[in-house]
Amino acid sequence: MKRRELITHLISEISSYMLESDPMRLVISLHQEEDGLHLSVMDDAEHTDAEIEQMEKDLNSQKRPELAGYYGAMTGHDLLGSSRLNLLGWQVKHTDVTRIDKGIKIDFWLGGDNFDSRQFNIPEKK
Amino acid sequence: MKDEKKLYLFFPFLIASFVAAAFAYDGIAALKGFLKLQLMPSRLLSDFFITAGIGPSFLNAAVVGFSGFLLVILTKTKLSGPTFAAVFTMMGFGFFGKTLLNILPILFGVFLAAKYTQKTFREYIIIALFGTALGPLVSAIAFELGLPLPLSIILGAAGGIFTGFLLPSMAVSMLHMHQGYNLYNMGLTCGFLSLFAASLLKAGGASLDNVSYWFSGQPLLLELLVPVISFILIVLGLMDGGVKSLSDFKKIQTQTGRLPSDFIDSTSFGGVFINAGLIGLVGAMYIHFVGGDFNGPVLGGLFTIMGFSAFGTNLKNAWPVVIGVIVSALIFKIPLDSPGVQLAVIFCTTLSPIAGQFGILPGIIAGFLHLLLVSQSGTWQGGMNLYNNGFAGGLTATFLIAFFQWYRTNKKENRLR
Repeated sequence: MKRRELITHLISEISSYMLESDPMRLVISLHQEEDGLHLSVMDDAEHTDAEIEQMEKDLNSQKRPELAGYYGAMTGHDLLGSSRLNLLGWQVKHTDVTRIDKGIKIDFWLGGDNFDSRQFNIPEKK
Repeated sequence: MKDEKKLYLFFPFLIASFVAAAFAYDGIAALKGFLKLQLMPSRLLSDFFITAGIGPSFLNAAVVGFSGFLLVILTKTKLSGPTFAAVFTMMGFGFFGKTLLNILPILFGVFLAAKYTQKTFREYIIIALFGTALGPLVSAIAFELGLPLPLSIILGAAGGIFTGFLLPSMAVSMLHMHQGYNLYNMGLTCGFLSLFAASLLKAGGASLDNVSYWFSGQPLLLELLVPVISFILIVLGLMDGGVKSLSDFKKIQTQTGRLPSDFIDSTSFGGVFINAGLIGLVGAMYIHFVGGDFNGPVLGGLFTIMGFSAFGTNLKNAWPVVIGVIVSALIFKIPLDSPGVQLAVIFCTTLSPIAGQFGILPGIIAGFLHLLLVSQSGTWQGGMNLYNNGFAGGLTATFLIAFFQWYRTNKKENRLR
């Protein structure tokens, strides 16, 4: 899949998910590098701790190439039913979900082996 | 012990049991029959219990299942919901349609497609395993066109490799059509490809008349096979986690099942084994109740739904679709013990995500339409796609999803103001 297609599908799926909470504000920010990219999505909707925990779990699930290579093609094509974060989780390198003043911010990091996501201030694992 | 490791023990046990059953039933003749079976046509509906015998069929199912299991191991794919479903399905269809000889070219074709797109074979492994539904296409070219044997086998293999190569591109497009509401997406994919293959072969003068080999005997081994495996699954599930397994089983019932729903990943091995065991038991009880036949196709079907109990099917989302098929059969006066209805009742669960997502009535409608379509779709594709119910289910799901989508988009309260 070309980079442009991948980005479009990822944005479509995550924005569809965020819009299910009916936010009044949704900001999508994209930073591209040669070997990777950083996608950040912010909203101002209410999210419970349990929901955030589940999001973290789905988005940072074990990488599943056998599912990503086939069912991953459904990402961003969701027209009926609820959005599914696990489709995204299989395809990204790392995800952070953090609370902001109002709502949440989700940071996606994608890239090949050469992509050093620390350059984008990704939190160091302790 | 991690869940995956338990599956690494379970499948060899199951496959070894099949080998033991084959030799216990037919002795060394099982091996001779198995070798003979490789050179036989296998289009729908070819019950290997008739064309080859019970022992050879068990041996074939074991070998076909083992080849799938081996590929999962060799590609280092996680043994979880989809691979659990794939190995079970391959074993089941080893009773009626898949042989080692006719699946290998398909697998190789998908492998070449992965190489061509510079992907790992693991990324296409699910497509490859389920794509073996086109095995009868290979056998049809090799053994039904009346060509001299060495040449026909080469042509059959070439046809299989070519269709295998096409499968990944088709599979993804088909997925978009029904948006994950048909569990047997490869059934739709292989059916779609078979339409073209059948048209080509018929244009070339081949006669792809309907085949109907349906075993009606009731040996105890065949009647008890699914109930015994189901019972073992339930016991293993309970031993694994006790109350937690039961709680996970309940959690599975709340999931829509829409592709891709890996129940092992979202719950546990214990919960899935209980789900698989109960689905197998209910299916076997239904067949027994309507006076059906525990033959190759029916056992294959029961194995398939047990496999998909880890990847989309649960009791709650399956029953409305099954009721839909039964209602359809009763209205159109098709006997419940006729082969088509027996198989449709089992395989219609390919549409269970529709009931899981949209509710009971849409599920019943889906089942109702499914029986009507599946009665015709086998002839369209020349019986070369073994997942004929997946083909019909995919068309039914596409039809319903298109309507639901239009209805939802145009409902007054959903319009943009």
